[in-house]
Amino acid sequence: MSHVLVVDDDPVIADLVAFRLGRLGLEVSVESDGEAGLAAARQLRPDLVVLDWMMPRMNGLEVCAALRSDADPALARTPVLLLTAKAQEPDLERGFAAGATDFVTKPFSTRELISRVTAALPPGSVSA
Amino acid sequence: MTVPLGGVLLAGAAVTALIIVLLAAVAAVHLLRGRRTSRDERRKRELMPLVHAVLDDDPDDGIPRSDVLGAPADLDEIVLDLLPQLRGSDRETLRLLLAERGVVSRAVADLSARKPWRRGRAVSLLGSAAGTHHVAAMAALLADRSLEVRCAAARALGKAGDPGAVAHLLHAVAGERALPTGVVGMALLDLGTTALPILRDALTGEHGASRALVAELLGVHGDPSAAPALEDLVRDAREDRGVRRTAAAALGRIGSPTSTEPLVSALTNSTDPRLQRTAAEALGRIGDPTATIPLLAGLADDDVAVRAACADALAALGAEGRASLEQVAAGAGAAAPDAQAALDELDGPVRRPQPAGVA
Repeated sequence: MSHVLVVDDDPVIADLVAFRLGRLGLEVSVESDGEAGLAAARQLRPDLVVLDWMMPRMNGLEVCAALRSDADPALARTPVLLLTAKAQEPDLERGFAAGATDFVTKPFSTRELISRVTAALPPGSVSA
Repeated sequence: MTVPLGGVLLAGAAVTALIIVLLAAVAAVHLLRGRRTSRDERRKRELMPLVHAVLDDDPDDGIPRSDVLGAPADLDEIVLDLLPQLRGSDRETLRLLLAERGVVSRAVADLSARKPWRRGRAVSLLGSAAGTHHVAAMAALLADRSLEVRCAAARALGKAGDPGAVAHLLHAVAGERALPTGVVGMALLDLGTTALPILRDALTGEHGASRALVAELLGVHGDPSAAPALEDLVRDAREDRGVRRTAAAALGRIGSPTSTEPLVSALTNSTDPRLQRTAAEALGRIGDPTATIPLLAGLADDDVAVRAACADALAALGAEGRASLEQVAAGAGAAAPDAQAALDELDGPVRRPQPAGVA
């Protein structure tokens, strides 16, 4: 079973994303700030991280950059999907420069999120 | 004068007691607030499965609809918080839920409430929750006696997303109860590109304030289909100066080479230095090399701001503009310093000192 780590300081959004991904047969863990998210990623070794950008302690870009420069090459390659209200061209550039694999911009559709999560995970990870 | 020791002790005790009472009161308020927050969070957690069930694509093993419809009012708060963060079918599903739970009909009734805060809250809620329904009722509040309610109505119409609100919003920038153009402009931008055809038509509207706002918005959108109508506004010498300037700036943002001719004409023939300056800036943004000669002529303008704008525009034209600037900078004419400053800016972030009176 593939494991997804959701990091978002808005508990309502984090719960909703976790619920929808859980319905796909994925194992989901949730953290509410960047620092805890990074620690959880190092401990849990998820197959995918869904990451909010604006969060307390460590923002999503910092977490993303820290993951990319991790000593463990497998963790450094973990796909990161940024879930963010920042959708301007420079924001996208900064996000990809920090190592994001893909973006979902808020306001978002859970169906689009599911499609992007499915695309970012190895084939067969998600049940129909 | 001597103060009795007993009095001092008594006063000290009273102050100490007062401080203790105040500290206890602050602690009690914190405690109550913390308990209320915990209680609210617990209620939200308890109600979240209902929201999940509503949004679930596979409701077979979900929660009965009657449970969702009969849930406490806290559910509406969760849904209203969630709505702005979702779009597509999720958003429509939640809107439908609010309608079914009577939230929308109660808000419609509150649009005519006596207290302004209730009218404002109702129209804001409808903007988020009712979609394109109730636009006429929301638009009626653009003429409300309370400015706060009028602003709330404008924002709500923007969020509702119905391009049919464009005419109502533009009407609200003029008249006795006019709204700030910034509020109306943001609402019109919130409507997105579906509003563009109506905005283009509104360039020939009755009020200068709304024409200027529309011109600015079309520029922000970078709408190439609006260029011909904006060019007409720049050409029209009888048009309001502010509208012409805004139209010229919008043409610069759109960047169509068809706009070079009217902008050159405005730069060359206008008696309004602010329009000339805006036209020069727009020509620089468009980057059409056929503007080189008129911009060079602008370097001899009496107005220092026009000369500076022409120099900057030439610098933006590329090799041809740069060569012209180098020629002017090497000469002894009045434009030589502006030309040199523009060249310096090309080579590094050197700011030209602003002449007095230039914004």
